[in-house]
Amino acid sequence: MIDVVDVWKSYKSGTRTLDALRGVSCTIEKGRFAFIVGPSGSGKSTLLYLLGAVDRPSRGRILVEGRDLTAMSEAEQNDYRRDTVGFIFQSFNLISNLSAVENVLIPFMPRGVTAEQRARAVDLLKRVGLGDRLDHHPYQLSGGEQQRVAIARALVKQPLVVLADEPTGELDSKTGDEIYRILRSLQESLETTLVVVTHDRRFITPQDLVLEIQDGLLADDAEPAAGFATGLHAAD
Amino acid sequence: MGVFAWRNLLTRPMRTLLALIGLSIPILGVLGLFSLSDGLRNMVGDTLSQIEGVIVLRENTPSPVASTLSIGVVDKIRAVPGVRAVAPEVWGIAPNIEGQGMLMRAAGNLMSKKGAGSIWDQPVISGQDYPTHKDLKSAVFPRALKERGEGRFLDERDVGKSSIVISRKIARNFPNDKGEPRKVGDRLLVGEEDCEIVGIYETGSMLLDVVVVMDIQTARRILKMPVETVSSIYVEAQTPPGYQAVCAAIEAAEPGVSARSMNEVQANFGMLMGQVDKVLMMIVSLALLVGVVGIVNTMLMSTTERFVEFGVLRTNGWSQANVLGLVTLESAYLGLLAGVSGCVLAWLGTLVANQFVGGGLRLGVSPFSLLLGLGLSVATGVLGGLYPAWRAARMVPMEAIRLGSH
Repeated sequence: MIDVVDVWKSYKSGTRTLDALRGVSCTIEKGRFAFIVGPSGSGKSTLLYLLGAVDRPSRGRILVEGRDLTAMSEAEQNDYRRDTVGFIFQSFNLISNLSAVENVLIPFMPRGVTAEQRARAVDLLKRVGLGDRLDHHPYQLSGGEQQRVAIARALVKQPLVVLADEPTGELDSKTGDEIYRILRSLQESLETTLVVVTHDRRFITPQDLVLEIQDGLLADDAEPAAGFATGLHAAD
Repeated sequence: MGVFAWRNLLTRPMRTLLALIGLSIPILGVLGLFSLSDGLRNMVGDTLSQIEGVIVLRENTPSPVASTLSIGVVDKIRAVPGVRAVAPEVWGIAPNIEGQGMLMRAAGNLMSKKGAGSIWDQPVISGQDYPTHKDLKSAVFPRALKERGEGRFLDERDVGKSSIVISRKIARNFPNDKGEPRKVGDRLLVGEEDCEIVGIYETGSMLLDVVVVMDIQTARRILKMPVETVSSIYVEAQTPPGYQAVCAAIEAAEPGVSARSMNEVQANFGMLMGQVDKVLMMIVSLALLVGVVGIVNTMLMSTTERFVEFGVLRTNGWSQANVLGLVTLESAYLGLLAGVSGCVLAWLGTLVANQFVGGGLRLGVSPFSLLLGLGLSVATGVLGGLYPAWRAARMVPMEAIRLGSH
């Protein structure tokens, strides 16, 4: 369960203060497939990264399985990112001089990779259809294959939450479909909570939770805007 | 993480290579300079170890060549308790040999592609007083002739005559008309004196192998020195009281002279080389500073290009310390590689240089110097990598990804 309670995030820009998030509150149940949607600059990615303890909110609280991310020390946040949450980026963001399997093992590198972790990484790559690409480097892989490596990297730590920022933004629609098929399959089998930021509503199914965000507010709290009617709801 | 850091270096081979060259040259310089310093120290040490006695000079003169003493001092020193043998000598820079002065010889060598030669090749005349020198037990040149030379040393037959004993090096530097080295029995024109070579010695020291040994009267004639003067006096002491005590006694007995045992000269030379080492350290520090700046530049470029990578690592649980460690490890590897290259180049350089220098000057890189070079290089690498590493580590992961994506 993820609880977001009255979260604000402000940035300084010269003498001005910009509010990227303005008192966002929501709940995402454990094991849900949730989408954060909204126009560019609405605060989607900001919220996503706050859920990943990559940044701290200016105000408010975020609880993941009862643990308050905002009260965590720097070291605790590192542990959280290493053990509890997995990230998938729009640009894949693989490390160019590491092979596919080494990219998947990145979270474990500082403490040394165990045989069990390596076996798990290999298994995940096989499950995303890259069993024959284990030692390939990113430049030897297509965009879709790179994103599948990134998915394996996000899941190798067996996280409670996976956060994906426009995971199909740089892929063609066919490959995008494939990525979502993989994500849904793994999410179901691993019972991981998956939060995806996207512009593309094609991939939203009726069972998914949709958080619409605009101008730093969830749609239910937002000022009414032309052509913007949906709020916090299940897609059905 | 070590393999990861290593591969990061190999990802940009040209930049890594340039950084390597930038740091390995100062390391090469460090080892080269210290090799030269050690070589000089050893050469002078070896030379001085061949001379056992005390040299008496006029006070405040650096060498016998610049010293003038009255002949009367000889008797006063002979009367000093503890003195076993006293041998007056005349020293001076040799005038033209075979009609050629130092400048002419340098120019001639240049034309003949032998190179200009050096200040160490300038012949020096040593006039020795046979009746007193024959009593010496530690005279350098007779021993060198006996061990590695040919012909004979000066004796009573040569008193007042133009007989000379030269080094093998001088024999080579002043060849005969056929271009062959001078031999025993050949003649050599020293100044205006046509001298007969009666012996050829070899000490192996470039400081000693420039001396043309002759009778003291002949030397005075060539150097145009008054009969009542000498340059220096070589003194041997009785075992007790030893050289230190004799030096003190001589200086007390004859004010205005300086009596120097070889230990003292060696100590003074050591102090001089200590000063030289300090200057070398200053030069080395500057060179290393340039190396640090090079590493900082390389690592800054590298880290700036890799903001996304650091953001990704941070989002995957890498701590600031982990990122700091990764970048520092990369720069340490760079330092290690530069150190190894610098050490190998320095070692090869001394091997090559030793083919061209002689006269007892042997350049070499000791294991300690190699370790020092490696240590300095790694320390320089780590030091140069710290700021870029700190800059990379302190970025907020989200900011790093955003900055790197643009």
